Amino acid sequence: MIEEATNTYITRAPEREQQLASMLGRILSAAQPGAVYSEPVTKGAYTVITASEVSAGGGFGSGVGSTQPAPRQRETASDASQSPAQPVNSSGGGMGGGGGSSGRPVALIIIGTDGVRVRPVVDVTKVALAGVTVLGTVAMLLWRMRAPKKS
Amino acid sequence: MTTNGGKENWVSGRRLKDLVQWQTVSGQPIVVHDVTLIPQSRALIVRLPRSLWVWNRPTAVRVEQHGQVKRLPISDLTRRSQLGLFAVGVAMGAIVGFVQFARSPRNP
Repeated sequence: MIEEATNTYITRAPEREQQLASMLGRILSAAQPGAVYSEPVTKGAYTVITASEVSAGGGFGSGVGSTQPAPRQRETASDASQSPAQPVNSSGGGMGGGGGSSGRPVALIIIGTDGVRVRPVVDVTKVALAGVTVLGTVAMLLWRMRAPKKS
Repeated sequence: MTTNGGKENWVSGRRLKDLVQWQTVSGQPIVVHDVTLIPQSRALIVRLPRSLWVWNRPTAVRVEQHGQVKRLPISDLTRRSQLGLFAVGVAMGAIVGFVQFARSPRNP
């Protein structure tokens, strides 16, 4: 039963790997400009297109393995049962994969009566977090510089 | 993607430039009213034996209107601010390190 399942797995592994590889190929679609620029949204005289930074990644892995009993183990087994050694093989396989993607708006392209303008989108939270981190680091450095050395 | 032959063959069969690629791509024109926009983006693609990573960011938009063509660059202010703050932190660290080194008694 186990051997049958393993054989089925082994024979179908290349097919499944091909499927996973084609799934990875779909991640490449994130490299197209269509993934970065949104569809135009029109409201009144203005049309807005969002430009975003996109990142996507994924990977998969698979493995098949089998073990054969060690010679010593075989001898022990044959001594204990006083019968010809039974081949005790164990085998198995597995496959897994994962992936993810993220996006962040970078700018808005506004098409209006006054022409085309590009307005940047600033993520205030990210900038503030970076600022707090830098301020903390600088404060620690200054405190360390002013503190008298123990000797 | 080649899966036969194992990891070594996969890597040796491809050069570094195939593993890491920078692509600047222009997209399909978008026509809004009398304006034609051609979006441009730059993508970094990292291909490893059984994995793939893509980072794509907008770089500019080519605007064609009334027979005139102009290029509007798209700058990532968030990223620039983060890098600027990081540079300030590194510079402050270097200054403090230099001052500490100059003040140390081993350095007359």
